[in-house]
Amino acid sequence: MRKKLQEQIERLKKAGATYVDARWYPVEESNYLMMWNGNLKNATSSRESGVGIRALYKGAWGFSASSDVSNIGALFNKAFDNARVAAQRVTFPVRLAEKEAVQGSFSSPNRIDPFAVSLSDKISFLKDLDEKLNKPGVTQRVSELIFMRKQIVYIDSEGSEIEKKIIEVFPSIQVMGVDSQGESHSRKFSPALMGETRGWETVNQQLFSENAERIVREMNEVLVADDCPKEDRSVILLPGIMYLQTHETIGHALELDRILGYELGFAGGSFVTLNDFGNLQYGSTKLTARADATLPNSPGSFGYDDDGVPAQDNLLIDKGILVGAITGRQMVEEANARSHKQIFNGSGGANRATAFYRVPIERMTNINIDPGNDGSLEDIVKNTEKGIILDGDKSWSIGSNREQFHFATDIGWLVENGQITRVVKNSTYKGETVKFYNSLSAVGDQSTWEVRYVDNCGKGQPNQIMQLGHGIPVCRFDNVRIGE
Amino acid sequence: MKDQILQALRDLRDYALKKNIEATFFYHEEDSYLMRFANSAISLNTNEHLIRLEITAYDDRRRASYELITDLKNLDEMKQGVDITAEMVKHAMPLSYQPTVPTFKDSFVDENGFDSSLASLSNEERLEYFNKAVAGLETDDIKLSGIFSCGANTIAQINTRSEHTQYFKTSDAQISIVLSHSTLKWEVIAEQSAQKKSGLNPTALHRDLSYLMERYQNDAPQQIPLGKYDIVFGPAASGDLLSIMNWIGFSGGSMKRGFSFISEEQVGTKVFSDKFNLTDDPTCLDTFPFQRDLMGMPRNSYTIFENGVFKCFTWSQDDADEYGAQPTGHTVMHKSLVLSGGDTEVTTLEELVAMPRENDILYIPFLHYMNLVNPSKGLVTASSRFGALLLKKDGSVVVPYNVRVTQSVLDIFGDKVAWMSKSQTINNTSQSYGARNPTALIVPIFIQVNDLEISHSNSSY
Ligand SMILES: [Zn+2]
Repeated sequence: MRKKLQEQIERLKKAGATYVDARWYPVEESNYLMMWNGNLKNATSSRESGVGIRALYKGAWGFSASSDVSNIGALFNKAFDNARVAAQRVTFPVRLAEKEAVQGSFSSPNRIDPFAVSLSDKISFLKDLDEKLNKPGVTQRVSELIFMRKQIVYIDSEGSEIEKKIIEVFPSIQVMGVDSQGESHSRKFSPALMGETRGWETVNQQLFSENAERIVREMNEVLVADDCPKEDRSVILLPGIMYLQTHETIGHALELDRILGYELGFAGGSFVTLNDFGNLQYGSTKLTARADATLPNSPGSFGYDDDGVPAQDNLLIDKGILVGAITGRQMVEEANARSHKQIFNGSGGANRATAFYRVPIERMTNINIDPGNDGSLEDIVKNTEKGIILDGDKSWSIGSNREQFHFATDIGWLVENGQITRVVKNSTYKGETVKFYNSLSAVGDQSTWEVRYVDNCGKGQPNQIMQLGHGIPVCRFDNVRIGE
Repeated sequence: MKDQILQALRDLRDYALKKNIEATFFYHEEDSYLMRFANSAISLNTNEHLIRLEITAYDDRRRASYELITDLKNLDEMKQGVDITAEMVKHAMPLSYQPTVPTFKDSFVDENGFDSSLASLSNEERLEYFNKAVAGLETDDIKLSGIFSCGANTIAQINTRSEHTQYFKTSDAQISIVLSHSTLKWEVIAEQSAQKKSGLNPTALHRDLSYLMERYQNDAPQQIPLGKYDIVFGPAASGDLLSIMNWIGFSGGSMKRGFSFISEEQVGTKVFSDKFNLTDDPTCLDTFPFQRDLMGMPRNSYTIFENGVFKCFTWSQDDADEYGAQPTGHTVMHKSLVLSGGDTEVTTLEELVAMPRENDILYIPFLHYMNLVNPSKGLVTASSRFGALLLKKDGSVVVPYNVRVTQSVLDIFGDKVAWMSKSQTINNTSQSYGARNPTALIVPIFIQVNDLEISHSNSSY
């Protein structure tokens, strides 16, 4: 197969394509188990394989994909034809940033392959948890296990050949209850990065048992709580909501294709302009953020992206100043040319596709915030006069240029004069992105830092669902509107 | 092709029967084309031909599924899938209720929604459509974005309970055109949905875009004050609100799980404005309907709200099995929601702007990134996008920066509804992830709701 792909790549090159690559997925498997109130509502496995071809002709992309690889020549022709038509409407001819040809491989670190674990063992794990969640106050209880395994062979016309073997595991639990006014509330748990591997071993019985108890207790506290007040307060965001704040208002805002207007027809743009790099005070000096695809164990670490560029650790925001973006080979060239200066030195290695039948686009890797010097969560609370601690991603809605946002959380704890006073329900907060990050007044130390996994980030047309990570400390922001 | 597909399904059924496996087979084939535009260029031109087969095996109360992307030539691979599913179901845990295995009483074929000339549209035709729709509107600063997505969708089913098959074939097109200013950052949109080639009308989009562009090009945008406004929602905004209600409103399963703002006791009572009439109407071809559901139940027009009175929940088979309810023919990939028009004669944005008004009116054509703040209260939040206008009572028109609306659908569609336009339009709500599933609903072109609060107002785009 590899030889066939190489021959076809050469053929298209001779026919006038300036660049061609093929991503062959010999196999991609997934396994989804979901238990709801003791019922195994979903026990689903899936399997797919196929090839996706990308061809560049006269500055325009063509793409074609199929699971049927019996006529691989026709598939390459289709990609080339699609490029030829696209070449009729080119405004900025696609150029690809320089890279080195690589012969490489990557395997995500796993001790126990979840696909080697029996279905009975997986179900018995869910059943155990379901029983632990079945407590007074709980009206709905959900336990989920998601497993993915894929093998990707990447070959391009510049001499690279890369093989990746990736395994992902996403376990989670959730409980719901109804308060005296008939309103539903929920609390959930999914584990943060543990150790150096991410196989079945992350599905840790004891950790889940402890957290099952905690989320039931906290949800019951929410059920009898008063509503979140409508006022300005300091908000202390735990990693269970700060990861999403970072995802939506740093991650998506700094995807270079969004900044350059390539998502304006759908997801939206970014308030960030090319002039902002090196200049914009994105946040207070306590804010340092990075796109780190080298973090040893996260879905945002994948060895090489789908341009064949090795994983990197790049600064995005350095002590509050915007310095970088989430980039691939095409967009950095266009950004540098449009701004008439060298903003980016080559690709940041963040171009990824979700399946063989999708085209790579700029995707988050691990978009992390560096731990700070403001101590533990307890220290931050102690130094907060009038605040609220928030956790749990209940709802999120962000302006089309990521300039403003509204979040709702599962739980809130009011803080008065350095003390946690009581739990509140229906907690929300909102803000304007740059103003909000400039009000960042405390960043927790390493003890508060957690890597949260995201298994469902959607972007692009056709839509692509991607897996990634966020390494996040506890953060406090001042003068934030809550309860609206 | 149809015969080949149904024969493959019959072969799989025979294979399962021979092995004593109770199973259902769901075949999904898509031929998808997508031309994507950005920065006035074609940023992506792609096509996919994918065949998915989902096999579900049953063993009394146990159930398990296996899905593969495959090819009709690979019958052996599909048979292997049957064996894998059969092995999985042995280890599955019994449900607390008896899941219903479908039994088709007869074979059913529906190709009414298929137009081969739309399905076989060429690359050149897609490009020509776009060129016509934006002719003369692009400049160095004003850039074109959008999609021309079209394709054919085939669904076929069989199960071991009967030899009968179900077969559905549709064609669809979803077009969305955005013009945006590269430095001023304003953006306007025009959209179209088509079920057959004759439904494609680039001239109509050109007219809509030209009107909005004239406003946005010549008027300086303003940050509008917070507070209450009389708001006119356009079709995309109304469509989004109805889609979210489909999830947290009238689905029986969601209600039982505590995700609905409507309770069981509210059946037969007034929930919304008496102007609110919502049906699920599978006779409406523009909604890419299922005239039978995936359990083989015939689907007829189904009234959900009549003059604001909530008539009944919709029940899928699995939810009905679990909660002891009667299924209502709603085991479908999507419903065919139709919100009736009202009695106000206004069809175009020009006419809306020209209508006499006593108060300022905020026109919101599109709601971006809607999410559920509190499902039990029907509380949603979203921002305006793509061509909002503030129609001042003195007749002048202001271009506003985007605003955020955080409101309950109970308020939006409650007694604050002032009027709905008589004319309706198609709002294509297709999502492009997973298997192709063309989806559209029919809504009044304009709905005015008085006295709704704006909770945030942008100072720029
Ligand atoms: Zn995302």
